[in-house]
Parts: sequence; structure tokens; C-alpha cells
Amino acid sequence: MISKSLETLLDFVKPSDGMACSFHHHFRNGDNVLNMVMEALMDRDLTNLELYPSGIFPVHTSLIRALKENRIRNLTTNYISGPFADALNTYGLTGELTMQTHGGRARAIIEGENAIDVAFIAVSACDEKGNATGLEGDNVCGSLGYAIEDAIHAKKTILITDTIQTTITNPQIRSKWVDGILHVPSIGDPRGIVSGTLSITKDPLGLKIARDTIRFLDESGMIEKDVSFQSGAGGISLAITKMFTETLEEKGLSASFFTGGITKHHVNALEKGLVKDLYDVQCFDLDAIRSLRENPRHHFMSASDYANPNNDHRKIKDLSIVILGAAEVDLDFNVNVTTDSSGTIIGGSGGHSDTAEDAALSIIVSPLLKGRMPLIKDRVTSITTPGQSVDVIITERGIAINPKRHDLLERFKNTTLPLMSIESLQKKAHALSGVPKHSPAKGRVIGHIESRHGQKGDALYRKEG
Amino acid sequence: MARSYLFIPGNVPRMLQNMDVYEADVIIIDWEDAIAPGEKDEARILSETFLKKHAPDVEIYIRINAEPSLYEADLAHIPLNHVKGVVYPKSDTASLSKLLKVLPDSLDIIALIETPGAFFDIKTIAAMERISALFLGAEDLCSELGATRDPSGDAILFARSTLIMAAKAYGKDAVDTPWADLDANNLQKDAARAKNLGFDAKSAIHPNQVPLINRLFSPGAEQIKDAKRIIAMHERKGTMRFSLDGKMVDKPIIQRAYKLLEKARRYGLDGGDSVD
Repeated sequence: MISKSLETLLDFVKPSDGMACSFHHHFRNGDNVLNMVMEALMDRDLTNLELYPSGIFPVHTSLIRALKENRIRNLTTNYISGPFADALNTYGLTGELTMQTHGGRARAIIEGENAIDVAFIAVSACDEKGNATGLEGDNVCGSLGYAIEDAIHAKKTILITDTIQTTITNPQIRSKWVDGILHVPSIGDPRGIVSGTLSITKDPLGLKIARDTIRFLDESGMIEKDVSFQSGAGGISLAITKMFTETLEEKGLSASFFTGGITKHHVNALEKGLVKDLYDVQCFDLDAIRSLRENPRHHFMSASDYANPNNDHRKIKDLSIVILGAAEVDLDFNVNVTTDSSGTIIGGSGGHSDTAEDAALSIIVSPLLKGRMPLIKDRVTSITTPGQSVDVIITERGIAINPKRHDLLERFKNTTLPLMSIESLQKKAHALSGVPKHSPAKGRVIGHIESRHGQKGDALYRKEG
Repeated sequence: MARSYLFIPGNVPRMLQNMDVYEADVIIIDWEDAIAPGEKDEARILSETFLKKHAPDVEIYIRINAEPSLYEADLAHIPLNHVKGVVYPKSDTASLSKLLKVLPDSLDIIALIETPGAFFDIKTIAAMERISALFLGAEDLCSELGATRDPSGDAILFARSTLIMAAKAYGKDAVDTPWADLDANNLQKDAARAKNLGFDAKSAIHPNQVPLINRLFSPGAEQIKDAKRIIAMHERKGTMRFSLDGKMVDKPIIQRAYKLLEKARRYGLDGGDSVD
């Protein structure tokens, strides 16, 4: 059914207490849809909601109201940014918070662990049958990769759009998965959907880390024909992506594919023939969206095809190199990108632990000091990505190879790069910062980090006091 | 022998803390122009305390103030075990002679040549025993001359060439002036011009300028290979004059080859002893 009234659509899906709803985060901090739906559900006085947003951003203030009014029982997500984390600490949940990975979420939806009653899926354009895309319309977001499993497996799938067209070219969402369409004046604020500010770091330390990472990759022998590569959209990662493609160009090589979140730097490489294909689960800027629309070598993929550990065709299974960040690292190479050192949630895995586990070489890049705090702890506050998946830590003051990688240690035994043990790297940080007092997170457990395979990991706490 | 000299202000903790990861061959901690008159003590005490506690693994100079009343206070705060020397602004023979009377014995001087008058003194300055390098300060010089710098370097060509002549005549290093804007293309042009004129090194005012300067002022792979062949032939023949690839090689060329190879080895650019 198609309606311009959310109330009519909600009558159609027959919402009830305890309903499981999912949302996606492709519209990031420009998203109007989650708030629109949540406000309507709360106005209907629904409680004990089970929520499955793939990511939560500062714009999602309705979730704070939902916490205050005690309307959420369980919350399962991959990423939390902004004041919602503080609200979680203040108000808690009646049930449990589960922090999944992008691949783990796709797996859990497909395998029925994330049982979704209604998927509310914002799309930038659809036709009247329900074929939909993120590439056309007034408020484009590009790939809808993280919404595909929701659309396929939810009991009911509702599209929410501000643009209904007669036809959709290459729909990402198929009409056969869709039960209803809500036509609204606006699904989002373009300023928050794609970032115009993704830029390569200008920080000298970040650039040194990027240069040393490229040297490390070069000396590792992995910059070779048909290498595949993924890095994030942070300033250091973007610098590495740019330097990586420049190195390919200097060597006269081309990569087989880049994957993950795509930026203009990945697109530039594709257009210069430095990489054969882009596999895109999320577009970070307008260049990426344009390229996905126009370039046949720039492919859309779902979260399952990206990183579901039980999908034998997942793209990251063939990934040579992944570059990732960290809030904390510990002496066992465990990485935390979920909480700060006081236990407050500051992010989440996203694809961090998926790619670290699958890639042939996983490299963590970070300044050795984060403000006044050393990066390397005896034990991270919470494990997002286990150390067994992490091969190398690169900081501006030294590089540590995980002792399990005997091959890398052997290969780099004569390097002029500043290689050292992770304990030595920690000592270097402590020499500058002092040894911070360890304050283990404590308080009532409000949830857990879940591995991509579905195993319960470290607890997350509602802090006392 | 250094390729890059990086100025950092003496009162910025983050820059002091990271001086050894900026990859500059020499750090110049600035207590002069970068520090407001009311903040001199803060810079002196902060720099001194940091150097004594952390002893960064990099060659360090301090740009002291030109006026005796200020540099006497500067000298009292220099931790001698951690600092190789001072960069002295507005150098001329008279002011340097005065400085030398109070300068601790362990410190050498990099003379900042940045006034028109200094160019009439430059031979005497270069000849001073404790002067280790001549350093062109083009911004102040252009300001006094009423000249405008651009990446072509035309406005400072005479100054650059004169300084290089004096430095080389007395076996001192010639260090080029910083390029003030952060445009990498302009820096590349300016630094390449300086390198071709004969400067040994160039200074930087931002850490992000250092990698490009290091790259430009490092011996290239072909240069290193040629130097190794010249030295190998010299050592095999035991003479200071021979022919190689149809070209005559004599003492200055052999000396230059040794110097180039020493620089390459110092910065880890020498790929071993092979001459092939």
C-alpha cells in the first residue's frame, strides 16, 4: 500500500507492545525517518519495543525520549554516536543492549536471531511497486547496503521516501520484499546525509602514521598486482588510501578491488584505473554516490555480501589489507572502538571486527597518545575486536607486530622502520603521559558486545554515581 | 650534513613533545620571533624542563634572542647536555663577537644572515671558528630590501648565492630560508631551486614541510651509485685523478662522493656496499 499518512501506514502494520522494529543508518546524521516513526510509536503509547537500528547518530533524539519514557526493552545496534550514549547511562534499558558488527547483524537477521517485525527503510526514491534505491531523488545517500537483509527478512517492510518515480534504474531494494510505502515531504537533511567535510588529515602525526603504514605495506610485499584494500573514512585512513593509490600508480599496478565505505578517494582510483572494482556497502560523499550511479565497475552490495561470516561469498573474505582505527589497544592486541576508558559508549564495531578477522593483513593505525591518554592499555576497557584478528599496530612512535605473525616478524627483521614490542610501545607512551590510573568500568550491566559469530563478549555498564 | 631544520615554538607543549617524530634532522626551538615578549620566560622554562626530563633523540638548536639582555637570560636556561648550539638572529661580526664572550663552550652557532649589512660581513662570519652553518633568513631580508619573494627565488638569488659561496669557502653548511606558505607545489619549486644552487639543507616552519625537504635534499639512488663507483675506483687505483666512463675524476669530485655517501648512510639511504 502507498500512503502519505504515517498513521495509516502504522494502522496497516498493526503495531503492538514489544514490536521489533529496524532502521538503517545510511542517512546518518541527516536522517528524519527514525525520529518520525519512533515519535509516532510513542504517541501510540507503545512500550517494550525491540529496536534494531543499524547505527544511532546524534540526530536520533527520539530515542532519548524513548529511554526517558522507558519504552525500549532491548536495543541491538552496531554503532552509537552522540548524546544517546549518555542517555543510556542515565536511564538504562529494561532489557539489554547488544552491540553487533555489520556482518554479525546481517548474519543474525538472516538466521532469525534478530527477528524483525517491521523494517522501516528510508529510501531516496522508489516506484509505486516498491522498487527502491538510494541513488535517485532529492536526498540521495547512495548504497542501501545495510538495509537489504532487513527488507528481505522482516515480517513487514515499509519504505519511507520523499520521491516516488515511475521507474527506478537498477533498484537496490526489490518490490517483492516491500509491503508498504510512506510518501513524506522529506526523509532527511542532505547536509547530514553525505559529508562535505571528509578530508585527509593535515596533522603531522597522522601523516607520519600514514607514511609509515605505506612503507610497512611496501616492505610487507603486499602491494602487488591485484591486491585488495579497505580503509575507513577517518583523516588518517583517507591519507593512507590516497598514498596507497599513489603507490600503485608509481609501481604501475592496479588493485583488484576496494571495499567497505566508499569516498571520492576510492572513486578517483577507480577512474584512474588503479583499481578494477569498488564494492560499496555505504557511500560517504557525493562523488561516491555519482560513481555508484554511473560507473559499472562500482558495485552495490548488501551487508551480508560485505561481511556476513556465514556467507561464503562475502567480499571481505578475499580482502588483502584492511586499515582500521582504535580508541584503545592492549598488550594482547585487543582493540576497543566501542567505549572510552570510562566505559561510555563512543562508537561500535561497524565493520571493524569483521574486516580484521577476514583480511589477510589487518593494521590498526592511531596516535600513541589520545589527548593525554596512552593508546595502549594493559587491558582494553572492552574488546570490540579480539587481538587474534589484529596483526599490526602502527603509531607515530613505533610499530608493533602481533607475535602470532611469525611471518611478518621474520620479514621485517632487517627493516629500518621503528619496529618494537607492544610493551615497548606502551612504555614510550607512559614516558610521555605517565601511567594512568586504571579505573575498571563498573556498575549495572546494561548489555554486551557480540562477536560477528553471535558470541557474547565484554559487558557494557551503566555507570554508578 | 643535515637536510632539514624545523622551527618549533618553545611554548607549545604538543610540539615540544612531538619534536622527535616530525622527522626533521634538526629541531630549532624558537625563543625569538615566535614568542611574544611577555612569554619568553614561559618558553624558556617549558623547553628547558621538557628537554631535561625527556631528552628527545634529535639534534636540537635554540634560536635565542638577538639583544644581549634577552639572550643572557636565554643562555641561562639552555640545558647544555641536550642542545647542540644556538641559532643567532640578525648576525653580524660585532654582535657575534659579543655573543661568543658569553656563549658556553659546548655550543656552536648557526648564524642567521637576514640583514643587508650581514652580507658585507659574511666572509668574516663564515670564518669564525664556532660558526657551524650560515642560515639565510629571507623574510626579514626581503622586508628590509623591499623585495617580494616568489617561488622563482629571483628576489633572493644574489643573497642565496653569496651565502653559499661564503659557507662553502669556509667548509660550513649552507641552510636555506623557510618557505612561508604551506602550498606543497610552491615549496617544491623553492626548495628545488635552493638545492640546485648548492644549499646543503632547507629550513621548515611546519612539520608537514619536512618530508618533502628531506626527500629533495637526500642523495638520489643514481647519485649514491655513482659515488660508490668513484670511491671504489679511487681506492682501487690509489690515485686522486683517473678516468671513469670517459670523464675525468679528480680530488673535488672524490671528496664530494665521500660526502654524499656519508650523508646517504646517515639517513639510511645507502643500500649496502655493492657498487653494481
